[in-house]
Amino acid sequence: MDEYDELFEVPDDFDDQFADELDALAQMEDESSKLGSRQKPGPGDDISDIEHLLVDQPITPKAKRQKQDAVRVSKRLFNSLQTQESKAPSQSDDITPPSSPEQYEPSRTARSTPAVLDISGFATIPETPRRPPTAAPASLHVLRRPPLDGEYISVTDSSGSRVYLRQKDDTGTKVVESRMVPNSQGALGLLAVPISVMREQEAERHHHRVVEESQRLSELLASSVNDVFVEPESREDKENDDPEDTEGQTSRLWVDRFSPRHYTELLSDDFTNRCLLKWLKLWDTVVFGRERKSRPARFDRQAPNQNSFKPNQANPNPNRFKSKIEVTEELLEAELDQYKRPKYKVALLSGPPGLGKTTLAHIIAKHAGYNVVEINASDDRSAEVFQKRIDTATQMKSVLGANERPNCLIIDEIDGAPAAAINILLATLNKKDGHGGEAGSETAKKKKKKESLLLRPIICICNDLYVPALRPLRLQAFLLNFPQTQPSRLAQRLAEISLRQGMKADTGSLMSLCEKTDNDIRSCINTLQFLHGRGHKQVDSKTIQCISVGQKDQNKGLFHLWQEIFQLPRIKRKRIGQGFEEAPGSGGGAQRFQHILNLAYSSGEYEKVSQGLYENYLSMRVRDPNLQSVCEALDWLSFSDRLNQVILHGQNFSLMRYLPFLSVTFHFLFAHTHVPRISYPHSQHEAASRLVSCKNALCTMLADIPACIRMRISQLSLTLDMLTLLLDIICPKLRPVNPQLFSSREKEQMRELIDTMLAYNLSYRQDRTPEGQYAYMLEPRVEEVVRYPGLPPRRQLTYQAKQTISREMEQEKMRRAEQLMLQRNPVVKEKEEKKIAGPKPTRNHQQRLENIVKQTTVETRPEVDFFGRAVAPKPQRLQTSSDTGEKCPVLSMGTAVGNSDVWFRFNEGMSNAVRRNVYIRELL
Amino acid sequence: MSLWLDKYRPTSLGKLDYHKEQATQLKNLVQCGDFPHLLVYGPSGAGKKTRIMCLLRELYGAGVEKLRIEHQTIVAPSKKKIEINTIASNYHLEVNPSDAGNQDRVVIQELIKTVAQSQQIQSSTQREFKVVLLTEVDRLTKDAQHALRRTMEKYMGTCRLILCSTSTSKVIGPIRSRCLAIRVPLPSTEEVCNVLTSVCKKEGLLLPPELAKQISEKSGRNLRKALLMCEACRVQQYPFSADQDVPVTDWEVYLRETANAIVSQQSPQRLLEVRARLYELLTHCIPPDVIMKGLVTELLSNCDGQLKTEVAHMAAYYEHRLQLGSKAIYHLEAFTAKFMAIYKKFMEDGLDAMMF
Repeated sequence: MDEYDELFEVPDDFDDQFADELDALAQMEDESSKLGSRQKPGPGDDISDIEHLLVDQPITPKAKRQKQDAVRVSKRLFNSLQTQESKAPSQSDDITPPSSPEQYEPSRTARSTPAVLDISGFATIPETPRRPPTAAPASLHVLRRPPLDGEYISVTDSSGSRVYLRQKDDTGTKVVESRMVPNSQGALGLLAVPISVMREQEAERHHHRVVEESQRLSELLASSVNDVFVEPESREDKENDDPEDTEGQTSRLWVDRFSPRHYTELLSDDFTNRCLLKWLKLWDTVVFGRERKSRPARFDRQAPNQNSFKPNQANPNPNRFKSKIEVTEELLEAELDQYKRPKYKVALLSGPPGLGKTTLAHIIAKHAGYNVVEINASDDRSAEVFQKRIDTATQMKSVLGANERPNCLIIDEIDGAPAAAINILLATLNKKDGHGGEAGSETAKKKKKKESLLLRPIICICNDLYVPALRPLRLQAFLLNFPQTQPSRLAQRLAEISLRQGMKADTGSLMSLCEKTDNDIRSCINTLQFLHGRGHKQVDSKTIQCISVGQKDQNKGLFHLWQEIFQLPRIKRKRIGQGFEEAPGSGGGAQRFQHILNLAYSSGEYEKVSQGLYENYLSMRVRDPNLQSVCEALDWLSFSDRLNQVILHGQNFSLMRYLPFLSVTFHFLFAHTHVPRISYPHSQHEAASRLVSCKNALCTMLADIPACIRMRISQLSLTLDMLTLLLDIICPKLRPVNPQLFSSREKEQMRELIDTMLAYNLSYRQDRTPEGQYAYMLEPRVEEVVRYPGLPPRRQLTYQAKQTISREMEQEKMRRAEQLMLQRNPVVKEKEEKKIAGPKPTRNHQQRLENIVKQTTVETRPEVDFFGRAVAPKPQRLQTSSDTGEKCPVLSMGTAVGNSDVWFRFNEGMSNAVRRNVYIRELL
Repeated sequence: MSLWLDKYRPTSLGKLDYHKEQATQLKNLVQCGDFPHLLVYGPSGAGKKTRIMCLLRELYGAGVEKLRIEHQTIVAPSKKKIEINTIASNYHLEVNPSDAGNQDRVVIQELIKTVAQSQQIQSSTQREFKVVLLTEVDRLTKDAQHALRRTMEKYMGTCRLILCSTSTSKVIGPIRSRCLAIRVPLPSTEEVCNVLTSVCKKEGLLLPPELAKQISEKSGRNLRKALLMCEACRVQQYPFSADQDVPVTDWEVYLRETANAIVSQQSPQRLLEVRARLYELLTHCIPPDVIMKGLVTELLSNCDGQLKTEVAHMAAYYEHRLQLGSKAIYHLEAFTAKFMAIYKKFMEDGLDAMMF
């Protein structure tokens, strides 16, 4: 750390601003220096197991073993070498970032100003420094190339750079020889060939190989396009060393090979990087137990500092997004919660694909000292599995393996996860600590539910921030939107990669590649690799324009597509010296044709596209006096409709390919230089929903029409012929008087009206209009089905008339229901008829009472006279006599009761003690 | 049963008001106690259904008029539930399979087969077959019609089908050949007038013959419409006057106005307005072919004789496409635009000829 600071002599404010990054860097430094210090005491004192093995078991030493042996030593040597060379820019700055500090420092020292620290965002990628063409002086004993004469040992450090040590007949070999000697001298004859001969052979073979290699190398160098730039032999050599690795290397995608391994190599926007890092550092308190550095004065100093360093940065973005930046900074400054966690437990990165979101998350997590656990769309993300994985990642820790670092969960492609999984994530975020505040009984109760609260950072990555499932998460997450990568940075990186791979590419063409791929890093590099794989050694803008590979399956959105279709491309001025071709749609007819076709193909939503075209084409400003193009367009539309029908009906999806030609036709028919005003196509959807509501109204109406009428009408005849007239018929002229005062003819009319309405299942319902007035509406709302805008309104009944009709209808309905009920129980009906026919309405009750009385008497008799068989005849006689005797009072009582309309009967356990049959008819 | 339409509907073949010859033929057909499958077709409002019900009554007696509505749920092979209403008596079953939309094939297969497969018990006292009445056969999909073919032959013993449609053009040949086709043409104007007068007489009203004629013309000889119009007139104003204006259906008025709009101006803007009106018609459940037909009729009456053949040709062309496609609005608009183009060219040519 000290060393670091000395080297850097960074200004205070800088230190302040980038404290977290520096922390991260310093931390790495510490770790690796620890590693280094362990190595320092030399192989004798502190040797690894392998070294032990090597020493203890004297085997015929091969070059490889020796190499391994020498690694540690050489590292030190190399280090010293580097420090010696530190003034000269000799460091082979690999794209693959060196991870050891020894390597790191020199490159740092090479750039002495903090502006070059790659944080400013402008000077960005360190141009690969040119190495002096000659190898290191021989006196150093460390060679950058394998020596042509004599044996050597190649030494690779952990970052992959390789140096060569000249092999001398020194102690190492002596030891080996001394050990070997007894063996050979013992003449045991274990070896068929004496070891010395074998060694000679081996040496010769090795020499041969080296010569071959060097020849090949020189050839390669000669053929290398860029004379100044020398390919790092180290890589080549390494590849030569083991063929398997070579294969692996070449088969690997460049995207992986040249992916950043270090924070400073990230291509993404610096502000974003910094924010994420800061957020992650907020976790330090809880994860690592480190106290957060208190920077009380920081926020006050912030504003001037920002101003002071921004000009240096020369980054156009910060000024524009200043307010947003401030907001984000504030978020990051917010206090930790009660568990010393940051306020936002989860960071949500969003942005279009290929900007390096996943890379950023991985690198930052690694730099902040975490072990990365990733869940992405390739994993099962059903709720249970997701829960399990989150728990595993956040609460456990790997015990096996060397890295005992805490986990950092990265959930990639979260926008595709089901809502259930996201809810689980939210639940995890909001978990409260049960052991802290709550009482013991409660914890016991909730023991099952209670889990420890989230103590690990979670980073989520998505393309589309506004997926509905993410909505709850959005509120709780630290949102970081990825801006576009700067094309200059990307082009620079691309240039480096192409140089490394021996491709010749000028900045202009690389810029055009960037533009073509919308600054998608992945797509750019893949395209480069593709070109390389096909043998292109030179990339110029023409090739870039011609290939269709780099083009993403871009999903530009429908409005963009419609706009492209309806707008003639502007003629772009050719940019001088840049080698830009014209914009893709601006050329001749064929080019435009291709362009529109491509766009239409890639959008995929042919249905929506054609709807949009249909809705907008008539409002385009096109001179079309004879309506020829309109006719043609409509012919095309009806063709595509037919096509669609065939596709869907016959499931003949191979015909789908003809659908996008519709867009091309519209482009050639209606494209205009003006910027078109395009509206989103709603009308078809609106029409469909209105059609559905109309149909529903008709269906409800039809559903309850009695069968005898229902069978005569169908939905079609109802709409076409009947409904309008029917609605006229049910609006007769009614005198605004009480229906009781109607004349007989009017009553008849009323009756018919109500009959009709009931037959056709229409009724009036009182409704409150939004203005607060009451109105009677026709119940199945069929009025809407037949009324058209702009036609003279039909005659409507007055409110009063409707009210009258409504009331009459209710009565009629009740009457009918009662009738129906009577029909269903004919007994009641019979009684009813009797009652109507009979002059005395009380007879019923009388009869019933008599029955009751009779029953009781009959029932009580046998009970009383049950005892003994001998007495049986006697009581019978007695019974008859008593029966006749008793009858009179009972009857008289019955009539007494039955004389009144109301009668009482006690039913045990029942509450309807008082009852009387009342019919609706009597009330109406 | 209070609409005149329902009140005075003839219930037996003998009481039919017109096409009496056909009625006697039907009577003779039923007399022998059996008949083949029937395909009754004719324009709407001609009295197809009335005739069929009369026929059934002749066949089975008054029991046919005891109707009940049954809600049936059929599960399609795709586990989709289809709900359909049937109207049934003890002797017959009436289904409108096109209510099920695309799934009408399933309805045909399941529903009709179950009816057809069940034997009538007590065949000594009853007819040994039931009748299945399918309405709106012309709106059946081809699949459903093919499903019907074999059923018709196989279950001839237990079931007779009566198909009811407005035209035979959409009924596939195999079905047409399996049925006895009975065409029910529209009544003539006089016949409509007679019916109207007799109904009014029964109601105790006096209908001036001029008004009767006017109504029958306005209704397009559609008897259902004519009766409703007559009743609407009665509601409007009782002591009928000869020159009373007869209420007409709104959609026809709207369609006429649309046609006038097309003729009066031809421009993309007008086309947009027409599109809105066409949408309006479509959303009010007016079938697109009816719109097309109405539009052509109106346009033809408005344009010059020279153009008529061409317009009719275009109409046929786009109507065909309309039937093939699924988005009616495209085809309707295409026809409109084509008409506009033709009409405009014709007018301009005419103007040029006038000038020189």
